[in-house]
Amino acid sequence: MKILIITILSFVLGIDDVSTKLFRRPLLIAPLVGLVLGNLPAGLVIGATLEIMWMGIGNVGAYMAPDLITGTIISTSLAIMSGGSRPLPTLVATAVTLAVPTSILAQQLLVLIETANCSLNGWAKRMADNADVKSTVWLIYPPAILTGLARALPTFLALEFGAGAIQNVINSLPKFVINGLSTSGSIIPSVGIALLMMSMIKKFELWMFLILGFVLAAYLKLEVLPITLIAIVFAFLYEVATRKVSATTVQSATTVIETPDGEEDDEEGDYDL
Amino acid sequence: MEHKLNQKDLWKMFWRLNTMRITLNYETLQGVGFMRAIAPALSKIYTDKKDLSEAMKRHLVFYNSHVNGDAAILGLTAAMEESTSADEKEGINALKTGLMGPLAGLGDSLVKFTWVPIVGSIGASLAFSGSIAGPILMFVLYNIVNILGRYYAVVYGYKAGIDFLNKNKKTNVIQRISTMANVVGLMVVGSLIATVIKVKTPVKIAVHSNLSGKIGGNSIALQSMFDKIMPSVLSLLVTIVVYLILKKTNGKHAAMLIIIMMALTVLLKYFGIV
Repeated sequence: MKILIITILSFVLGIDDVSTKLFRRPLLIAPLVGLVLGNLPAGLVIGATLEIMWMGIGNVGAYMAPDLITGTIISTSLAIMSGGSRPLPTLVATAVTLAVPTSILAQQLLVLIETANCSLNGWAKRMADNADVKSTVWLIYPPAILTGLARALPTFLALEFGAGAIQNVINSLPKFVINGLSTSGSIIPSVGIALLMMSMIKKFELWMFLILGFVLAAYLKLEVLPITLIAIVFAFLYEVATRKVSATTVQSATTVIETPDGEEDDEEGDYDL
Repeated sequence: MEHKLNQKDLWKMFWRLNTMRITLNYETLQGVGFMRAIAPALSKIYTDKKDLSEAMKRHLVFYNSHVNGDAAILGLTAAMEESTSADEKEGINALKTGLMGPLAGLGDSLVKFTWVPIVGSIGASLAFSGSIAGPILMFVLYNIVNILGRYYAVVYGYKAGIDFLNKNKKTNVIQRISTMANVVGLMVVGSLIATVIKVKTPVKIAVHSNLSGKIGGNSIALQSMFDKIMPSVLSLLVTIVVYLILKKTNGKHAAMLIIIMMALTVLLKYFGIV
């Protein structure tokens, strides 16, 4: 019964991910799974761990990221279902270990769907030819059901057949492996954070702000909220400062335009903007 | 100027905007979704069947942006469809294509890489201490931006329309907001390195003491040495190494890296280093 509820949940959350986007993050999904399985505390901690681990992951451009939805649902429920009365760190370790392979496997299914969705172009073209606005309402239903199934089917299979197998594996593993995996749960978030840094550090000088945030948290032990507020002040000052600088570079670029390599200077000035 | 679309039409566009990404495909990305979302507005604007068909086909082209960008572009495109003459229609897709990149960048930097990490880390820190308030707070804060941001972008995009764009060209609003979001995001990320990543070592170094002449009589815990140099210094080092590796490989092998790090941690645990 619980497996059925989670399967339906994954169908709904799968469609939510590509439409209303209300839940789509691990911290919002894992507690729901924990609630259904009767272990909310585990759902909370697993959700928090996965949230930060996958922080920098997102679809950028046409790139399809690992499927967080299926990954979170399967790994959280398997960890709780196979966990029995094991301590929380073990459950988190199991979930983190399972989250990576499941989300990568599920990602392949989504790629398949995006390929299958190409057939929608022809369908939509025929509607456009006939100026048929009413029928356009149907365009989303086949891909929506496909997307829901792509999340629900793997979830059902994994939960139906996976839990027992995983329980056996955990029982047979030596202690240091479990401990190592649960330690890795607090180191691996660095990947999510590094991915965020990759898309945010566009200029070398921006490292300053990363260090500033680190210092505020490491030395002054401030919480996220005060750091955000301080960050807004610095963001404003930085924006004002760089705006003035870029205005002067444009000016200086126009003054040197008479010199032979004035063109190049001008281009550089533009690039700084 | 009198608007042809009323509040109900805008609401309909918002509703269809929500399902825009379902039709994502490798040929036109969100092209089908965009056509579907704007079709009801088009049928209101074009009474002639041939014009309507032309307009629908015009929007069945490659299109992709961030969801909040989609909303603004959708509203703006509807405003342009309504206010342009027949020979200006070419410009509509040019505007769409020109805006989808910058607005995707703005949406990504404001929502995906600033707002979601901030509310996610606030929620996670509460959830780690076992409080259900964590996910609830995250849900509320995240969706205020998610849903209201989308709705008002459609309405504002349509109503303020081209005025905003012309003004924006001079004052560079998008560029300015995205710079500020970038700085806020980076400071939050920096603080997360210190609070979320926990790399500790139990290794102790035996010190040779001249007085007693015994080896191993005294020992220094490596971790407390690191803490004296800088709190969370190991976390910072690990993150920078991971960042450099990801940067070298263009972020393509993040999942592989996670698996390798897990194996490595288990190995280090075996030797008692972490």
